[in-house]
Amino acid sequence: MTDWNGVGLPPVADQRVRRAAAGGPWTSLLSAPAAAGLRVAGLAPVGEVMGSIVQQISLMGVSCGSYLPGGGQWLSTSRGVGPYLDALNRGYATALDRLTQEATAIGADGVVGITLATEPLAGATEFTALGTAVRARGTQRAGRMFTTALSGQDVAKLMTSGWMPVRLVYGVSVAIRHDDWQTRRQASWGAGNTEIAGYTQLVNHTRADARVRLAKRVRATGADGTIVSSMGLRMWSVEPSDNHRDHVAQASVFGTAIARFATTGPAPAARPLTFLPLQHRSTS
Amino acid sequence: MTEVDNAQLGIPADAMRRLAEMRPGQATSLFTSDLSVNEFLLVREAGFRPVGLVLGSSIYHVGFQMGRWNRNQELTTLSQAMYHARELAMTRMEAEADQLGADGIVGVRLEIEFKEFGSDLAEFIAVGTAVIADESSTPEGQSWRNNRGLPFTSDLSGQDFWTLIQAGYAPLGMVMGTCVYHVAHQRFWQAMGNIGQNVELPQFTEALYDARELAMSRMQAEAEQLKAEGIVGVELRSHGHRWGGHTTEFFAIGTAVRPLRADHHIPAPQLVLPLTD
Repeated sequence: MTDWNGVGLPPVADQRVRRAAAGGPWTSLLSAPAAAGLRVAGLAPVGEVMGSIVQQISLMGVSCGSYLPGGGQWLSTSRGVGPYLDALNRGYATALDRLTQEATAIGADGVVGITLATEPLAGATEFTALGTAVRARGTQRAGRMFTTALSGQDVAKLMTSGWMPVRLVYGVSVAIRHDDWQTRRQASWGAGNTEIAGYTQLVNHTRADARVRLAKRVRATGADGTIVSSMGLRMWSVEPSDNHRDHVAQASVFGTAIARFATTGPAPAARPLTFLPLQHRSTS
Repeated sequence: MTEVDNAQLGIPADAMRRLAEMRPGQATSLFTSDLSVNEFLLVREAGFRPVGLVLGSSIYHVGFQMGRWNRNQELTTLSQAMYHARELAMTRMEAEADQLGADGIVGVRLEIEFKEFGSDLAEFIAVGTAVIADESSTPEGQSWRNNRGLPFTSDLSGQDFWTLIQAGYAPLGMVMGTCVYHVAHQRFWQAMGNIGQNVELPQFTEALYDARELAMSRMQAEAEQLKAEGIVGVELRSHGHRWGGHTTEFFAIGTAVRPLRADHHIPAPQLVLPLTD
């Protein structure tokens, strides 16, 4: 095992990519319908690709005062939680970047069915991106790698309807809010039915910020729109000092930026067909 | 198979060309959607363009209510809380859609999440995709908005939405009714008398009937306010939430619809036998 300085791909990944680029049987994470779908859309699998990074990441040094200009007023996300948010963004970006490097090295045009995940690992967090690299049949090259979390079937449906997946996009945001007297009163046992304005503000602000960051990334790709695949919000309390609780919210949005293209060939437009399956289907 | 492939070789080449021509940061009318690919394509096919993911949220403290444990009764404080908090989330979602100039919101999900850090705290969330109708799919002189001048809302999936439009109906709005009900505990002598016997517990039966009826009639009243012809896709759910075995929320939700045209004929569906599980 050699020492690796974090630049480029880790040595074993590099070797695997070289082997894959040299030819031989390809591997893929595709299901049978996904493989069939990609074939219809004119894409062929070239190999399974991944990117990963392990980071030590935590919400360190949270202290009440520094985030709370104006006593309980809204606070910006750029202070205090900034380093934590930067680390989250760096995690996703690096995992995706290493995945793209692998795909580029084996001559792919894009990566489909990417799963982006975080996993705790001995006090640190691993960010992984795993997908199947594909190459368009024909001579036209894109010059840029497309990435998507969508399955092979979904990619095929989009492409035959004149939409191209462009890039896997995400928006992450973290914010912290001081529990002021009003929040504490509204959340107390005897408060009766009431909205807790402070918490609502916290989650709305965080989600809105995550969506703005997502939209920025989409705009940067030059795509026409986004299909959001998942949206999450986690909220928890922290105790920066004795008898004092604050609440932290972390929001994330993941999706695929898509762009419209005009077909020149006699491509059959995918038209919906009403049918009735002769199959028992359990309702859930 | 090869014939189909040749015809479609245009697709990857055209798609690759589009990627090659892309100009990052150009001003486009960017949309986001919460729909799946199937839903996205069907909503487009139905003549609507997604304009944005819209969302409303409220974190709510659900009050506490003492009830008499041996009587069947609605817990009105809790009913009001569940209703008011959902209403807050829905209204905020509608306001977002209104700002986008949307004609409606499709695929609305209404979720409740009780938070770990507080015993009576829950987040109520409404998420959907705001859509604008293409001019060609809007009947002349008609608006897709409902009689309150707001975008229509619908919790139907993209597939159901497409089918509804095909059949000549338009969604007006999501309608809901809720009732939190306390089912009386059995009296001591009654419980003793029933030991070891298979019997109906009439007061339990009646309580559940009453509670469902309240939830459903409230939903119907909402639909009448919207001047709907009917309600489709009704779901009648019961949630235990965190109130113990005898207190349950009965929640009725559906999409109120109006007719777009007199005949509601759709092409006869083809029968298929899927070869998958």
